[in-house]
Amino acid sequence: MAVIGEVLTGPADRPRRSLRLNPAVLAPLVSPLALLAIWYWVASREIFPEQILVPPGVVLEAFRELTESGELQEHLGISLYRLTLGFLIGALSGLIFGVLLALSRQVRDYAGSLFQALRQIPTLALIPMFILFFGIGETLKVVIIVKATFFPVAVAAWDGVKGIPTQYLEVGHLYRLKRRDLWLRLVLPAAVSPLLTGIRIALGRSWLVLVAVELLAADSGIGQMMELARQMMRLDIVMVGVFVTGIIGFALDKGFRLLERLLLRGRIAEKTT
Amino acid sequence: MSGNAPRRPGEAGRLLHLKGWLVPVLLLAVWQYMAGLSQAHAHAFVPLQQVVEAARQLILSGELWLNLLGSLQRTSTGLVIGSLAGLALGILLAFSRIALTLVSPLFHSIRQVPLLGLTPLIALWMGNGEPAKIFLVSLAAFYPLVLNTYEGLRNVDPQYQELGRILGFNRLLLFRRVLLPAALPSIFTGLQQAVPFAWITALGSELLFNAGTGLGSLMMTAEVGARMDIIIVCAVTVTLLGMLMSYLVGALANRVLNRGTVKTG
Repeated sequence: MAVIGEVLTGPADRPRRSLRLNPAVLAPLVSPLALLAIWYWVASREIFPEQILVPPGVVLEAFRELTESGELQEHLGISLYRLTLGFLIGALSGLIFGVLLALSRQVRDYAGSLFQALRQIPTLALIPMFILFFGIGETLKVVIIVKATFFPVAVAAWDGVKGIPTQYLEVGHLYRLKRRDLWLRLVLPAAVSPLLTGIRIALGRSWLVLVAVELLAADSGIGQMMELARQMMRLDIVMVGVFVTGIIGFALDKGFRLLERLLLRGRIAEKTT
Repeated sequence: MSGNAPRRPGEAGRLLHLKGWLVPVLLLAVWQYMAGLSQAHAHAFVPLQQVVEAARQLILSGELWLNLLGSLQRTSTGLVIGSLAGLALGILLAFSRIALTLVSPLFHSIRQVPLLGLTPLIALWMGNGEPAKIFLVSLAAFYPLVLNTYEGLRNVDPQYQELGRILGFNRLLLFRRVLLPAALPSIFTGLQQAVPFAWITALGSELLFNAGTGLGSLMMTAEVGARMDIIIVCAVTVTLLGMLMSYLVGALANRVLNRGTVKTG
């Protein structure tokens, strides 16, 4: 019961403030709490063996053990490091290549169709090939994430720059804007919205692919932690892993949406002044 | 620049064609050169003739078809189950406030977990056989269909509904004649997202649950045996089929949606 209490205080904390204003805030909590209660009840009846259904308390206990020993932070840290490194390389090179594709006829003529063909290859289909090329070390994960990031970002940058209304450029010329001002004030802001969406999608995909590749071939990382736990039939650790990957995925998406809104709000403000 | 282009389309088109081939051919030449460097190089950079030979053997022995069929069956079964379930839940969420408040928090939190991140959990619950793979593929189709069905039904122009009411449609008729057709483009958008996602998920599940037939399993077996030629043949097959499927759903969507417009017009 103490366990349920602990779980309850977490989510219940936040809406308490606004409870007086609007009881509807609590409504979305009903089903998760009900599910938790059912889970707790079914598990306590011991209908299923513990390898199939662990009580929520055991999962929470596993979470505490993993964080106290630092194991979870270590695995998560490694995974996030791989994600950051691969994502930065992939997004930057994708951005540059996408802009080049949009601006330069030469680049488009020589590399356009190759780019279109290569981007059709699903990242997951490349994992076995990349394992043979790079082994199962760090390089593999980073290269996979670079691949997963490069193409969507390049496409978004291409579309973004291509979609800039020609009127903008004409207005720029009309006002005799300097080349630098034209770029900073017109071209980039116009391209930024589709670009950010592309980057956010790429980030989500990269996380999915990273977890998959860690499940397949790794000696560390959150995916490997889950895979090892599965082999040892430790359902509690697997569930901790599932929760954590879900929360990270959610945080990446929400964080980026927030960033998007902040950047775009800045742009709108700039426009009105 | 733009004024020049349409004047001589033939020449420009041919030139573009040639230029487009230059880099790929160059890359293949480098690949072939690397293959010839040493025995160790040939392991990763398999000579192109070996890839062609592997493709021939895989096709002749029927191995490629067998595994391809396994993947296709898995994908289509999962697609049917997941799409129907997604459609049903999307409709339910669009019409029932209670269902929306109860289900959507759960739906959205489960959706956050990367699909393939669920595999260890599913492996413990369902083993690593066919049910586990089909479940994953179904989920891949389920998510986009729930979201797009719901969105499509929610965003139907209220004027249409009013018109239906004026015509004296009951709820079922209103749904069938007004709401569903209006939501159809959005539902097809969901389907267009679901098909490639299901195909990739089928592949991923075969890579992770390495048992039974399937292109992913064939690839993993080839990976253990360091058979780069087989891996390349599989990767190309997966890519081409994915493109074909996307194209077919797109064409289907166009057909169905166009027919809708003609009927109303």
